Amino acid sequence: MRRLFSSIYKEFLVLIRDRAGLAILFIMPLVLILIMTLIQDATFRTVKEVNISMILVNNDKDSLGEAITKGLYASEFFQIVEEIDGEKITEELAKELVAKGKYKLGIVIPARATDAIRGNVSTLINKSFKSFNIPGVKKRTKKSTVDITIYIDPATSQSFKNSVLSSLKEFTSQLEIEMFFKNFSEALAQMMPDQKPIKFESFETIKYQEVYASTTGVEKLPNSVQHNVPAWTMFAMFFIVLPLAGNIIKEREDGSAFRLKTMPGSFVTVMFSKIFVFLGVAFLQFILMLLVGVYIMPLMGLPQLEIGPHKIALGVMALASGLAATGYGVAIGTIATTHEQAATFGAVSIIIFAALGGIWVPVYVMPHTIRILSQFSPLHWGLNGFYDIFLRGGDIFVVLAETAKLLIFFVLMLLVAMVYNNYTRTK
Amino acid sequence: MQENHHIIEIKYLTKYYKGSNTPAIDNISLDIHKGEIYGLLGPNGAGKTTTISILCGLFGPTSGNVFIDGMEYQHSAEKIKNIIGVVPQEIALYPSLTAKENLTFFGHMYGLYGKELKNRINECLELFGLEKNANRRIKTFSGGMKRRINLIAGILHKPKIIYLDEPTVGVDVQSRNVILDHLRNINKEGTTIIYTSHYMEEAENLCSRVAIIDQGHIITEGKPKDLIASQKEFTDLESIFLHKTGRALRDE
Repeated sequence: MRRLFSSIYKEFLVLIRDRAGLAILFIMPLVLILIMTLIQDATFRTVKEVNISMILVNNDKDSLGEAITKGLYASEFFQIVEEIDGEKITEELAKELVAKGKYKLGIVIPARATDAIRGNVSTLINKSFKSFNIPGVKKRTKKSTVDITIYIDPATSQSFKNSVLSSLKEFTSQLEIEMFFKNFSEALAQMMPDQKPIKFESFETIKYQEVYASTTGVEKLPNSVQHNVPAWTMFAMFFIVLPLAGNIIKEREDGSAFRLKTMPGSFVTVMFSKIFVFLGVAFLQFILMLLVGVYIMPLMGLPQLEIGPHKIALGVMALASGLAATGYGVAIGTIATTHEQAATFGAVSIIIFAALGGIWVPVYVMPHTIRILSQFSPLHWGLNGFYDIFLRGGDIFVVLAETAKLLIFFVLMLLVAMVYNNYTRTK
Repeated sequence: MQENHHIIEIKYLTKYYKGSNTPAIDNISLDIHKGEIYGLLGPNGAGKTTTISILCGLFGPTSGNVFIDGMEYQHSAEKIKNIIGVVPQEIALYPSLTAKENLTFFGHMYGLYGKELKNRINECLELFGLEKNANRRIKTFSGGMKRRINLIAGILHKPKIIYLDEPTVGVDVQSRNVILDHLRNINKEGTTIIYTSHYMEEAENLCSRVAIIDQGHIITEGKPKDLIASQKEFTDLESIFLHKTGRALRDE
């Protein structure tokens, strides 16, 4: 045990004497988490709050054009541009400006679009009443389509495009319904001229109530910070793999590892002292990142991170994640023969684990095969655990499975390192 | 446990590295007596480092046996590690730690603590003329100073056997003399020293017996004086070495 303490103290001294390395260890994850949360916050708010400039060319000058224009102006999503330098934008110019990337979208409502919709509504009504042979019902049954052209910048994200399209569809379908009722009422009036005209009023019959499910009964509103801080904290914590693997390789290159191997005390003592110190670093990183979420992010216009009541569960998850990361670092440092190997493999594998783990794209939208693979990513387990605590209000029992998986991963990585170490001794 | 006056017995030792058809050492047998300074001499790639590595327990042989003070690594690795001290060719120290911090850490690894360790560190630093630099970081030391601290780290726990791999390489004459004088003193106290070097004159003066190894085989073995006396045409160990191993350049 005294050997272990001495080895821990030595690792601590080596770590704190490398001031630049120490600064990188703590500053870089904080920079990463701030920048990533700010960026992700923008995409999180795209549909809700971000004011994106969009060209509108309304050639209709009637109900449809008016409804879309009114809807777009009323919406907080977009900043509508119809004129440039006092001149109305034409379809050609709209296409050109979007193609050059100056605007994300350009919507062109064709001339006589309202007439076409009216015609279509009448056609539908006529078709319905034709069989009754009611006098006064027009025989027109010809249908025509309305082509609203949307020019899209190829760099626009699919999700943004989809949200714009669904908003437009919402405006037009509302208008269609209104027109249908109006024309239907007119048709009925023609059929039954003696009757008092019926006035149809459309109203919202189905309302959606959004409730964020939680096991604790306390509803938590998710925001970019609640989503991103756990995700990027997990990602940053795993980057402890690089300095840890580098430390092991440096010790080998310096010859100290050679000397240690000839001394009493096992490989496990040396490795555990490294794990202990780097776990401390990872845990400190975790606390600093939480503090950034609670105190710094609100100063930057981001929502404040809510840590919630289950602090023990949070601590356990942080320790389990830190152990998984340090175990992985020990395995890479033991197997890699050069700094380049460790840095490249370590960094790329963490990015793959992060991608599979749902740090960038939620796992549920991934293809089936990738979803299966993601079940083996330690970052996925960690992220799930943190989401359980931060978003679902879960306690220590809720994150027990994720904690166990991370600890098993840690033990497995240590076994890999020990087996490899023994293998090289017998080669 | 075997009881005899040989502190190290090497029996028919052969080592093939994985993927190699040529043995690094081939059927070597040696007996090293207690209290000897034994020189393992040979050109680059002769098999010296492989032999020393097996003696230090870094890895096992492909075949053959090694007995250290009557014990084998397979059964008594921890006991053997407590009685050996290793001074590698590289400066196997932590550059960002001070001399004292390095020695304290390595002392703890050998099971030395408290006053005993403190006294031993001070004694060694004084012996090697480094007491004034005890609290300086290793990275600020000169090559000779680093070599001396590297040596102290291997002898701190007063081992029965010391393995020295090129202990004087790249140091000035003053540091070399200090190192060699202290090796003689340590040896006089009963410590067995196994030593590798490319400096034939140094080996001739220091070693009680030497073995010249080449291509994994022992070519010749004996006291330096006897080896020189047996070859009438040569007057020093270097001439015999060149005669036995040839003048062709060797790769690592």
